[in-house]
Amino acid sequence: MKSFLFLFILFFVFGCSNDQKNAFNQANKKLTYWCAPNPEEIELAKILVDKWNRLHPEIQVEVQALPAGQSSEEVLLAAIAGGTTPDVCSNIWPGAIAEYIKAGGLVALDEFEDFDSLISARKIPVDLLESFRSKDGHFYQLPWKTNPVMLLYNVKIFEKAGIERAPRTYSEFFEACEKIKELGIFPGYTDIRPIWWQRFFDFYPFYIASSGGRTFFKGDDLDIDYEIAVKVFDFFRTCFKMKYFPITNFQVDPFLSEKIAMRFTGPWTITYLEGNKPSGFEYDFAPIPVPDDYQGKVYTYGDPKNIAIFSTTRYKREAWEFVKFLVSEYSDSLLLEICNQLPIRGDLLENKKFADYFNRNLKMKIFAEQAPFTRGVDEVVEMKEVFDAISREFEACAVYGAKSPDEAVKNLIKRTKVIIEWSK
Amino acid sequence: MSRVESKAGYFMVMPYFVYFAAFVAYPLFFSFILIFHRWNIVTPMEFIGLKNFVRLFRDELFFKAIINTLIFLSIHIPLQIVIALFFANLLNKQIKFRAFFRALYFLPVVVSGVVITILWQQIYAYETGLINQMLLGLGFKKIPWLVSPEIAMPSIAVMATWKNVGFYIVLFLAGLQSIPNELYEVAEIDGASNFQKFFRITLPLLNPTVVLVVVLSTIGGFSLFIEPYILTGGGPLDSTLSAMLYIYNQAFYFNHMGYAATLGFFFAMVILIIVIIQRKFIEREVY
Amino acid sequence: MRRNALTYITLVIGAIFFAYPFLWMFFASLKPETQISELWFMSENLSFKNYSTVFAKIPIVRAFFNSLFVSTAITFSVIIFGSIVGYALSRLNFKGRDLILFLILFTMMIPFQITLIPTYVLIVKLGFVDSYAGLIFPAMMNSLAILIFRQFFLTIPQSLIESARIDGCNNLQILFKIIIPLSKPAVATVGILTFTSSWNEVLWPLIVVRSEKFMTMPQLVTIFVVGGQAGSQLGVQLASATLLALPIIVAYVFFQRYFIESLARTGLKE
Repeated sequence: MKSFLFLFILFFVFGCSNDQKNAFNQANKKLTYWCAPNPEEIELAKILVDKWNRLHPEIQVEVQALPAGQSSEEVLLAAIAGGTTPDVCSNIWPGAIAEYIKAGGLVALDEFEDFDSLISARKIPVDLLESFRSKDGHFYQLPWKTNPVMLLYNVKIFEKAGIERAPRTYSEFFEACEKIKELGIFPGYTDIRPIWWQRFFDFYPFYIASSGGRTFFKGDDLDIDYEIAVKVFDFFRTCFKMKYFPITNFQVDPFLSEKIAMRFTGPWTITYLEGNKPSGFEYDFAPIPVPDDYQGKVYTYGDPKNIAIFSTTRYKREAWEFVKFLVSEYSDSLLLEICNQLPIRGDLLENKKFADYFNRNLKMKIFAEQAPFTRGVDEVVEMKEVFDAISREFEACAVYGAKSPDEAVKNLIKRTKVIIEWSK
Repeated sequence: MSRVESKAGYFMVMPYFVYFAAFVAYPLFFSFILIFHRWNIVTPMEFIGLKNFVRLFRDELFFKAIINTLIFLSIHIPLQIVIALFFANLLNKQIKFRAFFRALYFLPVVVSGVVITILWQQIYAYETGLINQMLLGLGFKKIPWLVSPEIAMPSIAVMATWKNVGFYIVLFLAGLQSIPNELYEVAEIDGASNFQKFFRITLPLLNPTVVLVVVLSTIGGFSLFIEPYILTGGGPLDSTLSAMLYIYNQAFYFNHMGYAATLGFFFAMVILIIVIIQRKFIEREVY
Repeated sequence: MRRNALTYITLVIGAIFFAYPFLWMFFASLKPETQISELWFMSENLSFKNYSTVFAKIPIVRAFFNSLFVSTAITFSVIIFGSIVGYALSRLNFKGRDLILFLILFTMMIPFQITLIPTYVLIVKLGFVDSYAGLIFPAMMNSLAILIFRQFFLTIPQSLIESARIDGCNNLQILFKIIIPLSKPAVATVGILTFTSSWNEVLWPLIVVRSEKFMTMPQLVTIFVVGGQAGSQLGVQLASATLLALPIIVAYVFFQRYFIESLARTGLKE
């Protein structure tokens, strides 16, 4: 009994204590850096931090992965509340920035003199850059990486169905679906659960594509293109009604098991597909289909993640130097090699430093071409709830056909206005 | 009972008093404050008077969630009582291996709801689920257990019954065994049929157990959370959105602490009222 | 005889109904992905591959120890404090005794839905988020346990207590040396009830713990399955669920009689 009690106390103490950071404690200036909790980004972060620490013995950086398990946004918000924020974090989702800014948690990056030259060196397209500017005119995030959502399709099935090239418009898409249906396979699929972030892989990219790069808000005001939204809801409604998309949730991966021929996803899928595909399986990517009468470049949702410096930092200047290092050509090329994710740069395909990578990874070229033409989400505090409302309308209108697209969009606008009202 | 005033008594209940102050009194008190504020934990609290209540009464989703929970209960409770009574009756007879059967039926009660839910996700799956496969094998059509807005909540109710009925079988069994045999013997002499014996002797005497089963199931039903959380996320078309899931989303996805506290408060009142009504209607004097 | 046969058949059908899903789950976790949906257990390609994936992807062993530690701590605390307060309420006389009893009954009536959020806020303010303290403290005492102990202690003959007092024992000694050993059924009941319910508790950990280091086993498996880390690999999901079920099932196999009796006894309390 007594020994049990002793072990008990030992475990308690052990469990509550923190790790030792010896070398770290000996440096003059210390920075903490939080990276995303997936294995590739952790590996990337470790390599970059190691290199930095060797080059800058007087400014040591310690890297920690954000706790895995629940959303990074909640973790960061809780850290701001508890005053336990790191100096730098590279998993900043633009949709959550509004809350961090409201809490006064971030440093304005454009106050550094070399901010502008850094941006122009990365050749980021102006409209993309502007989407990251905050409402008060400052930049609180440095654009880092993007994962454009595109159309993934099974090459062999397309051949068998007699489809010559990936569909570019809604009509071409439906024609392709008809041909695939004859093979007894579901042409496409999207997860029908009304979870708010699911819409990043169906409704939202299609809306951005069909509207030529618009998002939902201008500043604080709702600015949805009614016609486009109706068109997108109608597109998906047709897909479910004509049974191009199944109304079910597959338990086993349907793309690899060839139960479906197409889906909408980003470059992170490549690693998964390469690692799990059966022999002879061939796939490729194409831009999101747009309405037949659409002209111009096709945009899409880019799921950008950016870098920010927290206002609790004691070494602003040093943190900024570290951030610049994180987006250097060297770091960007490692981001490509190790994580297969795209840095937000306009010169991906022209820059010689990346040429070798793209020659070896042809599928990433398509994404690189798409990268400058992406959008994130608006900087609105209630963004999640807005997407939750979109998910509800999507489910009712597109999946179950219980509402017409007009009703769905009208309801969406109404509910969004209520949501925004409540947050004022 | 010792008649001497005992100071020791104060010391011994002191820990409970501290605990009560911290984890019962303070939360209750704080919830009364929260419901008049808007707060996301990070920024300071904002006093907004009755706005949370105004929002609540206009919140169709919340009322849908409460109705969903009532639908769940209206299927779960009767089903539970009927099945539990049925098996308890069987087990009450003179049979061998009673302990074995009882233990087996009781097993799902102790296993985590998470396991049960993951398991039933496979049983209910539309394309490849166990039930649908059996149906197809027998020549029937597949049923959209979790994908149809009409059937989804009842499906969850059935799953919850499967999980908990073992507990109620045990309760009813204990209740049955406490009914004196003489009552049945007298009734037989009077020429009562099995039917009459059940409805005039067994059921009335089981009333306290029935009340207990109803109250416990109700309280359990109102906490419905992990099942919709894992299985459906609240869909399809919000048909499986339980009140707790909605409150959880409001508080921890959208960070509306004040509003979530208001929802919790209102919901707690609803529960108390329903439990009181149930007791009034179902409780009978047992002679 | 015939009626008996019908009874047995029905009971066996019931048994299959309750046992088959668990058996299916276990065997499905051993099968290759394409064969998982099969109804029958056996297959040529059974392997524990999915289990190694689970162990590699999530810290399930740590979660197991977290759950073990937290549940044990809570159970000990509830038994110790429950018996102390139960003793004071049943055997000692002091002003305010009835008030405390009333408070306890009052607590039992409050639906947790109303205190959930404020308790979370309290935990944040105390800095107990992502810690064992946040998981253990709010559950350290339990009104039902106090009532069960009180009920049981009322039946202990006063003479035993008197003679212990004459021997010079103080109250705590009386409680732990004499009363508790005589109250094994109550201790078992409270112990099993508390341990099982705290082991299976998942809503509170989901709220209070964000870091994988401190997650309990049910919580970790939930996030694993819902969050998509398992990819769409069904076999891996089922393997993690089986691992989660294993500890309680093992405990149940050994202590099944105590489980059933304790839960049944609480029912009869009302």
